[in-house]
Amino acid sequence: MSKIIFFGGKGGVGKTTCSSAYAIRCASKGMKTLLVSTDPAHSISDVFEKKIGMNIIEIRKNLDGIEIDAEYESQQYINGIRGNLGKILSPIVIDEINKQLDAASVSPGSHESAMFDKMIEIINEESNRYDQIIFDTAPTGHTIRLLSLPELLGGWIETLIMKRRKAIAISQMAKRKIKDEEAIMQDPIIKILNRRKNNMEKARHIMIDEKQLNFIFVLNAEKLPIEETKKAVNALEKYDIPVNELIVNRILPIDVEGDFMKEKKEQEKHYLKEIDEIFKNKKIYKLPWCVKDVRASSIDDLAGHLTKQL
Amino acid sequence: MDEKYSVKQFIKDIGLFFKGATDFDRKSKGMLEKEASYEMDYFMLLCYADLLGLPLPLNYYTLEILPYLAEDMDNWLGRMVDRKSMWEEKGSDYDFDV
Repeated sequence: MSKIIFFGGKGGVGKTTCSSAYAIRCASKGMKTLLVSTDPAHSISDVFEKKIGMNIIEIRKNLDGIEIDAEYESQQYINGIRGNLGKILSPIVIDEINKQLDAASVSPGSHESAMFDKMIEIINEESNRYDQIIFDTAPTGHTIRLLSLPELLGGWIETLIMKRRKAIAISQMAKRKIKDEEAIMQDPIIKILNRRKNNMEKARHIMIDEKQLNFIFVLNAEKLPIEETKKAVNALEKYDIPVNELIVNRILPIDVEGDFMKEKKEQEKHYLKEIDEIFKNKKIYKLPWCVKDVRASSIDDLAGHLTKQL
Repeated sequence: MDEKYSVKQFIKDIGLFFKGATDFDRKSKGMLEKEASYEMDYFMLLCYADLLGLPLPLNYYTLEILPYLAEDMDNWLGRMVDRKSMWEEKGSDYDFDV
């Protein structure tokens, strides 16, 4: 069974609900489970009615949670760099560089990278401590981009290391020294780049090479979620990430009353059949639409439904 | 002449004489230094092209090495922005002044 599970799907289909229910089910089976929310609009705190922050805390027995705050993470990172500046540079240069750091900390790419970084950190550092790590992700497009990052960035970093090595080797030659591999490896820039590269490779290895990553898509029995899921499944297969399971959430009860609801139910039946046809080689779980709001008390019911089908 | 002045030293001195006369060392060293600085420029471009307006997927990660490159940053930006000086740089490759 895969250690890392990503919950994806169109916005509003109930990813948080399903991933929380799934996490409860894993925890109640005695597996040490970590539930990670990456959606900027965090709501697992609301589901469990407990403040879950940017550090890992225990939600229940066997179940820990964390809500990644991209803004906080990128601030941390940039402050770390700032701290490093004083050790290396003269005050005049520091002033100039600080301006650039300020500009970078508000640039849109930074938050995405910070999120990605924290996810890699969790995968690399926590996968020994937990039996199951469950990611409640932001809507589809975002997540797929996130997963394509290791490949894209890995290539860039490799080029950077190559270029830097070449530059050092030539300047060594200019100083009439023989090429000194030790000195190249000690270069702080090469060191930093290598560390990044290793982290990325490690995460990639866990996620893709060892087949430890599984994706579960959540959808509703409606047209748009079906279409989006189809696209996302195709996109993920390009990255060799299999999607074997789907959860159809919010299924209406059988005995609905009134013309409106009856017609809705008919339509749902039609779409459920379509889902079965399109995704016939995948396992499909069905969760009912709950009367009550999804809160700490009612989430266990859903987890129960899930357990019955798994 | 010092009596310690050996044949070995004599040969070395002749070598130095030719080196100085042909100017070989200065030139090769200069060429290597120039090459090294070009390589550094390329490296900086790959790291901080976003400062010149080219989008870069890596810019968040290259911030981390900024402290080590900051000293050269101003010069580099100046060189990249000022096309005229680039032509000068390229022209000097052909050594018209010698």
